[in-house]
Amino acid sequence: MPGFDSIEALRDAFTRQRYLMDEGLGTVVFLALKLRRPLLVEGEPGVGKTELAKALALATDAPLIRLQCYEGIDVHHALYDWDYPRQMLHLRAGGSVPLYSEEFLVRRPLLEALAHPGAVLLIDELDRADDEFEAFLLEFLSDFQVTIPEIGVVKAQEPPAVVITSNRTRDLHEALKRRCLYHWIDHPDLKREVAIARARLPGVGERLAHQVCAFVQDLRWLDLYRSPGVGETLDWAEAFHVLGRDHIDSATADRTLGTLLKERDDLERIRGAGLEALVERAEERATQFGRDGGNGGAV
Amino acid sequence: MGLSDRMKAMGLDDGWSPGAMARASRSDGADERPPEQAILAAAVAFARALREQGLSVSVDSELVFFSALAELNVREQSEVYWAAHATFVHTPTERPAFDSIFERFWAGDPLTVGKRGAEHGESDARMGGAQHGGEALPQFRHEGKAAAPTDGDRQHATRDIPSAEGDQGASNQKRGILAAWSERETESDKQRLQYDDDELAALRQLAEDIKRSAPERRSRRCRPARVGHRLDVRKTVRNSMATDGEAFRLAYTAQIPRPRRLLFLCDVSGSMERYSRVLLASLKAAVGAARRAEAFVFATRLTRLTHSLDGRDLERALEQARATIPDWSGGTRIGGALADFNRTYGRRGFARGAIVLVVSDGWDRGDPSKLADEVRRIQLQARRLVWINPRPLGLDQQPLAIGMRAAMPFVDDFIPGHDPRAVAGLARLIGDLGGQRPRRSPVRAAAPGG
Repeated sequence: MPGFDSIEALRDAFTRQRYLMDEGLGTVVFLALKLRRPLLVEGEPGVGKTELAKALALATDAPLIRLQCYEGIDVHHALYDWDYPRQMLHLRAGGSVPLYSEEFLVRRPLLEALAHPGAVLLIDELDRADDEFEAFLLEFLSDFQVTIPEIGVVKAQEPPAVVITSNRTRDLHEALKRRCLYHWIDHPDLKREVAIARARLPGVGERLAHQVCAFVQDLRWLDLYRSPGVGETLDWAEAFHVLGRDHIDSATADRTLGTLLKERDDLERIRGAGLEALVERAEERATQFGRDGGNGGAV
Repeated sequence: MGLSDRMKAMGLDDGWSPGAMARASRSDGADERPPEQAILAAAVAFARALREQGLSVSVDSELVFFSALAELNVREQSEVYWAAHATFVHTPTERPAFDSIFERFWAGDPLTVGKRGAEHGESDARMGGAQHGGEALPQFRHEGKAAAPTDGDRQHATRDIPSAEGDQGASNQKRGILAAWSERETESDKQRLQYDDDELAALRQLAEDIKRSAPERRSRRCRPARVGHRLDVRKTVRNSMATDGEAFRLAYTAQIPRPRRLLFLCDVSGSMERYSRVLLASLKAAVGAARRAEAFVFATRLTRLTHSLDGRDLERALEQARATIPDWSGGTRIGGALADFNRTYGRRGFARGAIVLVVSDGWDRGDPSKLADEVRRIQLQARRLVWINPRPLGLDQQPLAIGMRAAMPFVDDFIPGHDPRAVAGLARLIGDLGGQRPRRSPVRAAAPGG
């Protein structure tokens, strides 16, 4: 994996992958790579936790290996399994290859990550897995080696870069957190969100991007049940774009609000509070933002 | 070592100590130690100060921080800040305490300001509540927006109802919203709940029973079983190796049952206080036994209790609980408190699949339609929503029970708490709830009369 000489170089590499990170995240990712520590990222849904790992893989030109966690995930889903049908057939055909050898080994993401030097391993939504799996993972993350009873010890030549995400549906173990570098990703400020929208949606005009982001920034201040994330901002901007609008208007906003807010209560609240006023405010802020050249963006 | 060289390269061989960055011009040469040791000493002092603030800082984290510094430009405040943040902070709630220490560290101010004032539980950073003084500390945020909605302390500052004038007078002991509702409060004073001994005994028995009849759910984890629905392919293949590939002996697995999460939401306002206290005191045993239990108490605010309840010493645990409740017997805003729950914990899945027990008289001083909305939201996530109400009177005769009436359509089981038999039946009900889903009508759009 190509290392980065400086935090700036790393951020530039991510920017080229159209992932814009702030100074804090840049520093932490830089350190995680340098110190070879797993990186635990938490944050509201839609702030780009999973995207971070994808961008890291692209920026370092490494394969991304993803392990999606869920309740009941165990060694056979995460690490390895045996190809039973083939084993059975082989046995009945009177084959001579040992049944528990590499030949019949099915590599799951964790084993896969050990095999690829410098891979990026994304362990997504670890909070969904249970305590037992977390304990197992702790062992894996300390040594980057696993023992398969039938084969022996498998060790990584070069440990993978590990990104762990969590939505905090439960507290992760202190021991696991200690293994990792921790970072909380916030919603981006207006300036950054505009930059993200422009980078991700090249077709969307400047005016529309400014207005959509200003609108969403305002929404995040309201005490909504589910605040829209960057992902929703992009969806919404794209919705306007697909409908052929180059700026936001309250009629289209009303029709497309479902891409932004996914809770009935929130939708009703925003519609009840008066969409026109919000749209107007967003237009104002966007104009001001455009005038200031993005310097007055951070509230 | 790498660090030394880098330090020299950066022209930092005059030593690095807290404050050296802020006062870069200072060159009195008082510090004769090699830079590496100066940094190490500073990092250790910093970690110790964090530990005193209640952050769990391990020696391992210190070492990581130290090696992180070797990779960074230690003159750059933001780089050092984020390196320290990544290694020492493990949850967003620790951030205010961390920020204040870091600020002092960077400015070169003394790191320890005497003992942390945790005697009254006021400034203990480990406590989730708003009372740890974090609000007043400098925030290292891009925006002034209240900290990202991550944990229990988000809205407490705003949810706090300012005390009415004349608060300091001994004549007016009522705080917050109670003062505004003093007329009604007198009324409720007259109807203050009386609990018989057998009522409270039933409550204690309930906690005991809950402990035994811990409801279960089937987890997705499996164990070998003699009979079952799922074939254990791995083991079957192994077995058939002895029989040349013929699977004569099939092996099965069964799903392991796990305790289902129990969630207690206890009203501790006014006359509910004693009732909830007895229940909480008895619950301590239940919470300790069934691992997956969470308790919250509310009056005008919501406070999470499970952490303080699972201690050994019951009295100390209750004392702690009381310290975290700013309004141990204040006014009731059930809707607001449940909204707090939904936004900070509900979204994180605390109620999902859980058996939720609300203990309250339903005397809400907030908006009844809001209460109904929030109860409905909990019910949609919960396996079962049980409401225990100790008020003996009929709901229609209680003018203030409007909240209870609003919530009723979304309550799966309503248990009259003054009836020891009903309370005794509750544990059995809870025990039975593990497997089955309650029968509910599919869609309930909005609160009636909301």
